Amino acid sequence: MDLFQNLALGFGVALTPANLFFALVGALIGTLIGVLPGIGPIATIAMLLPLTFHLEPTSGLIMLAGIFYGAQYGGSTTAILVNLPGETSSVVTCIDGHQMARQGRAGAALAVAALGSFFAGCVSTLLIAMFAPPLAIVGQSFGAPEYFSLMVLGLIAAVVLAHGSVLKAIAMIVLGLLVGLVGTDGNTGATRFTFGIVELTDGIDVATLAIGIFGIGEIITNLSQPPETRSLVSQKITRLWPTREDFRRAWPAVLRGTSLGSILGVLPGGGATLSSFAAYALEKRSSRHPGEFGRGAVEGVAGPESANNAGAQTSFIPMLTLGIPGNAVMALMIGALTIHGIRPGPQIMTERPEMFWGMIASMWIGNLMLLIINLPLIGMWVQLLKVPYRFLYLAVLLFCAIGVYTVSNSAVAVLLAALFGVAGYVFTRVDCEPAPMILGFVLGPLMEDNLRRAMRISSGDPMIFLQRPISLGLLLAVLALCVLVALPAIRSKREEAFQE
Amino acid sequence: MTPAHDRQIPAARFRQIVMRNDVLAGLLFCAIAVLGLLISRDYPVGTALRMGTGYVPHLLCWMLLALGAAVLLQGLRTTETERPQASDASAWRPLIFVSTSLVLFGLCIERLGLVVSILLLTGVGALAARGLGFLETMAAACVLVALSWAIFILGLGLAIPVWPEW
Repeated sequence: MDLFQNLALGFGVALTPANLFFALVGALIGTLIGVLPGIGPIATIAMLLPLTFHLEPTSGLIMLAGIFYGAQYGGSTTAILVNLPGETSSVVTCIDGHQMARQGRAGAALAVAALGSFFAGCVSTLLIAMFAPPLAIVGQSFGAPEYFSLMVLGLIAAVVLAHGSVLKAIAMIVLGLLVGLVGTDGNTGATRFTFGIVELTDGIDVATLAIGIFGIGEIITNLSQPPETRSLVSQKITRLWPTREDFRRAWPAVLRGTSLGSILGVLPGGGATLSSFAAYALEKRSSRHPGEFGRGAVEGVAGPESANNAGAQTSFIPMLTLGIPGNAVMALMIGALTIHGIRPGPQIMTERPEMFWGMIASMWIGNLMLLIINLPLIGMWVQLLKVPYRFLYLAVLLFCAIGVYTVSNSAVAVLLAALFGVAGYVFTRVDCEPAPMILGFVLGPLMEDNLRRAMRISSGDPMIFLQRPISLGLLLAVLALCVLVALPAIRSKREEAFQE
Repeated sequence: MTPAHDRQIPAARFRQIVMRNDVLAGLLFCAIAVLGLLISRDYPVGTALRMGTGYVPHLLCWMLLALGAAVLLQGLRTTETERPQASDASAWRPLIFVSTSLVLFGLCIERLGLVVSILLLTGVGALAARGLGFLETMAAACVLVALSWAIFILGLGLAIPVWPEW
C-alpha cells in the first residue's frame, strides 16, 4: 500500500543521524523555551527561525517542527507546575493540572499529559499520512479563482474560530496584507511603500515581522506589567507514574481529546488552542462527576493535553497540502519554506516527497523524544522555572536582534523589527491580537497574484468567483461564517465558549 | 447610564471615551489606511483586467478604512462601563529602552562588531526593567557575549564582525 511506502520513505529520511539530531535539538530547545515563562510559542519559533536557515531545507523544517511541539509541551509543564500557561493552548491545563500538583500529584499530571500527548501525536501523524495525499490532489485541480476564494475562506475562518473581536481581527488581516505588499510589485516591477529605502525593495522578511511583533512586542508587554507572583509547587516530585485509577479515568479522555483535536486542527483557525478549550468543555460535560473539575480531575488534564497536541499536528495538513496556514505558527512555517525557496502548495508532495514524508515521520519521532526527554528531566525544567524574567528578557532581546540581522544581513531589518515591536505592543494594548496579521502578511502576495490571474482568465469580470462552482461554494462558506458571527445569539454563545 | 456620568466635565468624559480600546484601535486603523492612501496616491491603479501597481494597495486601504471606522463606531456606541485600565505610565520605560537598544544594535553591528553591539544592547535594554543592578547587568552582558559568540560565530559560522573594524 502507498501509505506504508510513503511512511517508509519518510522514516528513511527522518532516521538519518543528522535529522535525528536536529529533531532532538529542536525538541530540546523548544521545551527549554516553552518552559521559560513569558515567551510564547509564536515568539519562540520566530526567534529561532533564523537558526534553521543555515540548514538544509528538510533538516530546517524538522528542527522547526521539533521546536513547535517542544514549546507546546513545555507550555503544559509550566501550566501544571506554576499555574502559568506557557501559551494559550495550555490555559485549560492550568485549571485541573495545577490543582493536581498542589495535591502532590504533579508527577501524575505531568505523566498523563506526556502520555496523552504522545498517543495523540501517533494518531495524528497517521491521519496526516492518510489524508494529506488526497487533499493535495484536490488542491492540484484548483485554478486561480478557486485558490483566491480558498484563501479568503481560510483567513475569515481563522478569525471567526479564534477568540477576540472578529472585526478587529479582520482589520489586522488587512493590515498584514498591506505590509505584505511592501517591496517590488512582481507584475509591474514598480516599488510600493518602500519610502525610497533600498533594503525594502525586496520586501519585508517574515522573520523580521514575526520577531518584531511577537518577540519584541511580547517583551515590552511583559515588562509593562507588574511582576507576577508565581506559585511554584515547591515540594519535590516523587511519584511520576500515575495510579491505576488515574489510568482508568484518563484513557477515555485521551481518546476523546485526540479525536476532537484531530478534527478541529484541520479547520482554519483551529489548531491547538481551540482544540484544548473544546476538549475541556467536552470532558466537563460528559463526566459522571463534573464537580471534581477544577479540583484536580485527571480527565481535565488528559483530554485537553491530547487534544492540543493532536490539533497542533493536524493543523499541518492544510499548510502542507494547500499552502494555506490555519494559524500564525503555520504562517511562520510557510515563511520558512519560502525562504528555503520552496513554494508551499499541493505540488510539494510530488516535487519533494522526501521532505514531505520526512517531516511527517519526524513528527512521530519528535513526540517519542519529547516523552523521553520530559519525564526523566522534569527536575531540570522545574529549576528553569525559577529564572526571573528580568534576566530572561535580555537574552531574548539579544537573540531577536541577532536573528533578525542574520536573516536579512541588513541593519535596516533590525530597525524595522524595533518598529514592529512597538506596533506589536500598541496593538496588544488596544486589544487587537497580532496573530491574524501574520496570516495576512504571508498570504498577501499569493492572493494578489491569484486575483490578477483570475481577472485575466475572466477578462476583468469579478463574477468569475461566483461562476466557478468550487469558488462559489467556498465564498458561500465565507458568507455563512460571517452571518453566523453576526447573529446575536451565536455571538454571545461564542463569547461564552471562550470565557470558559 | 447613571446620572453621575452626565454631570462629569465634558473634557473628562471625552477623554474617557477616546481612551476606550475600540476607539483607539479604530482611530489607529483609520490613520494607517489614510497614510497608505496618501503614500500610494501616485501609484497607477489600472483596470481590473490590467491591474496597476496601485490597484490592490488602494483596495486594501479602503477596506482598512471601512473596518477602522466600524471598530471606531463600535467603540463609541458601547454602553458597558469601562474596565479600569492599568496605568500606561509603566509602559513608557520598556517601550523606549527596548526599542532604543534594538536601534543601537542595528546601527552598530556592521561597524562596531558583535561584542560592542551586545554590550550596548544589554546596557540600554537593562534600563527597561526595574530592579536590574549594575553588577547584574554586567554579568548578564558577559554571559550573553560568550553565549552568542559560541552559538553564532563558533557554532553556525555566521559572518558577523566580532570586533570593531578600524
